[in-house]
Amino acid sequence: MAWLDSHLLTATVFLPLAWAFVGLAIPAGAGVNSFARVLVKTWAFFGAILTLTLSAMIYTRYVPTGSEFQLVENVAWISALGISYHVGVDGLSLWLVLLTTFLMPIVILSSFNAIEERTKEYYFLLLVLESAILGTFLALDIFLFYVFWEVMLVPMYFLIGIWGGREKIYAAMKFFVYTMFGSLIMLVGIFYLAYQHKIQFGAYSMDFVSLYKLQLNGGTFLATQSVLFLAFALAFAIKVPLFPLHTWLPDAHVQAPTAGSVILASVLLKMGGYGFMRIAFPILPLGVAYYQVTFMILGSVAIVYGAWVAMVQPDIKKLVAYSSVSHMGYVILGLFSLNAIAATGAYFQMLSHGISTGALFLLVGMIYERRHTREIGDFGGLSRVMPLFAIAFMIIVLSSMALPGTNGFIGEFLVLLGSWRTSPALAGVAALGVIFGAVYMLWMFQRVMYGPITRKENEGLSDLSAREALVLAPLLVAVFVMGIFPNVVLDKLEPAIDRFVARSRGEVRIETAEVLNPRDIAELSAILKEKEE
Amino acid sequence: MEALKTIRPELLTLAPDQLRALSPYLFVFAGTLLAILFSAARVVKSRWPAFLIFIVSSIIGTVAALVLLREPPTLLFNGMMSSDAYANSFCVIFLVSAIVTAASSLKYLDNEELQQPEYYVLILFSALGMMLMASALDLIVMFIAFELMSLAVYMLVGFRRNDRRSNEAAMKYFILGSAASAVLLYGVALLYGATGSTSIRGIFAYLQAASGQGVTPVFAIGAWFAVLGFLFKIAVVPFHMWMPDVYEGAPVPVTGFMTTGLKAAAFAAFLRVFIATGYGSGVSAVIQNHIHDILWVSAVLTMVIGNVIALTQTNLKRMLAYSSIAHSGYILVGMIAGPLSEQGYAPVFMYLTAYAVMNLGAFVILTSLAARNDGGLNLHDFSGLSRRHPWLAFSLAIFMFSLAGIPPTAGFSAKYVLFYSAIQANEIPLVVISVLCSLISVYYYLRVLVYMYMRDTPDEVPVRRRVSVWSAAAIAAMVILTLQIGVLPARIVAAAKKAVTSL
Repeated sequence: MAWLDSHLLTATVFLPLAWAFVGLAIPAGAGVNSFARVLVKTWAFFGAILTLTLSAMIYTRYVPTGSEFQLVENVAWISALGISYHVGVDGLSLWLVLLTTFLMPIVILSSFNAIEERTKEYYFLLLVLESAILGTFLALDIFLFYVFWEVMLVPMYFLIGIWGGREKIYAAMKFFVYTMFGSLIMLVGIFYLAYQHKIQFGAYSMDFVSLYKLQLNGGTFLATQSVLFLAFALAFAIKVPLFPLHTWLPDAHVQAPTAGSVILASVLLKMGGYGFMRIAFPILPLGVAYYQVTFMILGSVAIVYGAWVAMVQPDIKKLVAYSSVSHMGYVILGLFSLNAIAATGAYFQMLSHGISTGALFLLVGMIYERRHTREIGDFGGLSRVMPLFAIAFMIIVLSSMALPGTNGFIGEFLVLLGSWRTSPALAGVAALGVIFGAVYMLWMFQRVMYGPITRKENEGLSDLSAREALVLAPLLVAVFVMGIFPNVVLDKLEPAIDRFVARSRGEVRIETAEVLNPRDIAELSAILKEKEE
Repeated sequence: MEALKTIRPELLTLAPDQLRALSPYLFVFAGTLLAILFSAARVVKSRWPAFLIFIVSSIIGTVAALVLLREPPTLLFNGMMSSDAYANSFCVIFLVSAIVTAASSLKYLDNEELQQPEYYVLILFSALGMMLMASALDLIVMFIAFELMSLAVYMLVGFRRNDRRSNEAAMKYFILGSAASAVLLYGVALLYGATGSTSIRGIFAYLQAASGQGVTPVFAIGAWFAVLGFLFKIAVVPFHMWMPDVYEGAPVPVTGFMTTGLKAAAFAAFLRVFIATGYGSGVSAVIQNHIHDILWVSAVLTMVIGNVIALTQTNLKRMLAYSSIAHSGYILVGMIAGPLSEQGYAPVFMYLTAYAVMNLGAFVILTSLAARNDGGLNLHDFSGLSRRHPWLAFSLAIFMFSLAGIPPTAGFSAKYVLFYSAIQANEIPLVVISVLCSLISVYYYLRVLVYMYMRDTPDEVPVRRRVSVWSAAAIAAMVILTLQIGVLPARIVAAAKKAVTSL
């Protein structure tokens, strides 16, 4: 236990990986319900539960008023290049870690019946994926971050490519190559930052905290910060995904198995937002200032465009996928508004999108398992045969539309409130997205759940099984807890958000509390002022 | 260093520490002679004597080289050879790739009915040539070592006597290789004419003396020819035409040996000459700029053409051949950056090591899966491999990820260090081109995984081949090394640093 006390984060990150490899040793069973297969599933499920327990321990030990990063572990890794194994938790990583560990057991439970082929490999990859995601969120060394960021692609690639739908290979390849493109450009940026650190401070370091102290010029199109910001923003915007870089998402989401879609939408997209918050904004404040308006416009366009495209989708899963583009637009808009309210809203929006979109994919997966179709036209009147399902679906749809009292409301409201201060016009455009969101969600819900049952196949559909109810229950609880008591989340988030905003506005170089040199401050405030006018 | 004007026998005698420094070469050479004796006498009509002599002598040679790594460098034969960390580190790469090649060949040669002891003798001979190339400090010695290695490899390429492609490859390789050797030799002659020395240190001393006033045209042309000769040997664009045909015609294990050992040897010698011709040392600005531009263009062309053509290949062997060209391009990036970055040429060494490990592993798997006459290596033959051979597919997946440069594998950490050094040398456009090229490579490497994991086995099920214990051991070792270099690269970074500082 003493070891666990001092290595809690390492344990959390690598437990799923170790668990996955032990699980590989279970011999392959013959039948679908053979003992070995059941053992594999249960083994994976308990691994995920144990990880959730560990992350709950992180939650209890994290003190928001304490030092910036807590439970830190720092070991030299490749000392010749200043690379270290450095992990730590702050408010920004804490909630995304909890979101991941919270969803993972749900996802595993949800695929108990859906995956009949290569069961062992499937759960192996899911657990490896969990390790990679947790590592990305907890890394405090940019090299470590990059390693986990890339490793995460591999299990996801196999999950889509092996267990996906008809176009699985195309979707898997597109997902991988698209994301890799952004990552490689980001890698060049990482090299440059590390090199600059060596020049400015005389030593190699890849720590986020030491990179935050870099002084780079900015303000023009070809200035270092602007170019670097584009390099990083490309990687993160592809991941978010921001319009017009979103085209990999509908393919990947629709083709992936349910569990893959849930993880993809709920957690992997958040890595883009997290990357902006952890790397691009604090290191490159002048770059952010330079591109602020551009990205705010792109964010608002994404909100409206995603909603419009979602409206005309005949396939429910595709509709949910495009709704993600719309919802993640709020995140971008909120982050680039550069104030604490909008940033809090953006972060909250990431969490609530994780809960409600994850739940939507699970619900779609449940009717797909029954009917093997996802066309809206094939359904109608389902509420008559599946009342429990209808209730759960209704709640999630409302939360996705941001009804007050649900989690979606808090995030979108804060984003709109905060972005109004920076740009009322764009906030107005974004507010339209709320209306369109209600339209496509309710219209879809009406066509699927209400009206007469038009197809004979739909008459005999069974309602939620106990396992499915168990899968959905935690998500429904989370919708209301986050909607009614948002302070549960906000209390542990605020100090981190304040630091983030201060750094992104270039006001202070935290940790040493160094103030930027006067020239930079003048430059920055001139730019900000220009923007405000 | 005084040029060797008259032969003074007292300089050719060996002191005990020099004998010690020569031990890896002596062990390998002894092994070669013994293997020849056994194969010529045909006392036992079996493959075992030659094979076992091969394995034992090269393992002893490897251990000797590893031991020598801890010792201070020794000059040998009047400064014509040096046993330093650089030479010994490369010796380890050559011998390990020779061992892995032989281990994977054992069953392959049985299948092809080519089992002849001469095969192992030839591999050992070319390994010896490679070792001498890495340690030569004199261009004449380097040339002889080069020919020793090449002649053995020409024969290995044509080892499948009854196969037309193999014969064609050997002939092509021989003619073009000789032409390249001639260019190289001509460059050496011109360098000798300009500097009065064939020794690398002598040429370097001449450059240092001449710095400030520039070099003579004879020297510049000589340096160019030498560099071009080497560019041919390492097969970078536009001197790459011979390579895919040769790689395709050669028996699979020989191709693996050529892409790793031979390439590493050519780069090892190239680096030594490179420094002597004034680029690496930064002595002469004129030459530096010229060669920089030649290499820059060549690196970009190599990466783009190698990767784009590899993209269109449907045969795995040919794809790996083109990708090998592309990897030479990455290494050239490291050479361009070398003199201007803090790591020097260490990333080049590290990349060669990582490439040797992952590519050898991939070729051992190809060797184990090859049908008669090297058939059965088309992409669709790999469909559903993960069901027939789960472990082979898993290992090949790791090698493919490593070749594509995805963490946590050797390929990633090597690429990371290499491109980082290029950024330090301020070659930002070059690095951007490089990473985009490796993005292209991601596609064709992953396509192999698509066939292995995401497509079903074809209707006529290919015969499930048994993998020999030797191959399995070699694959396991390469997988472990790939992951080890990927996860804990600190050691290999330090080793690379040590190797190149002794240059």
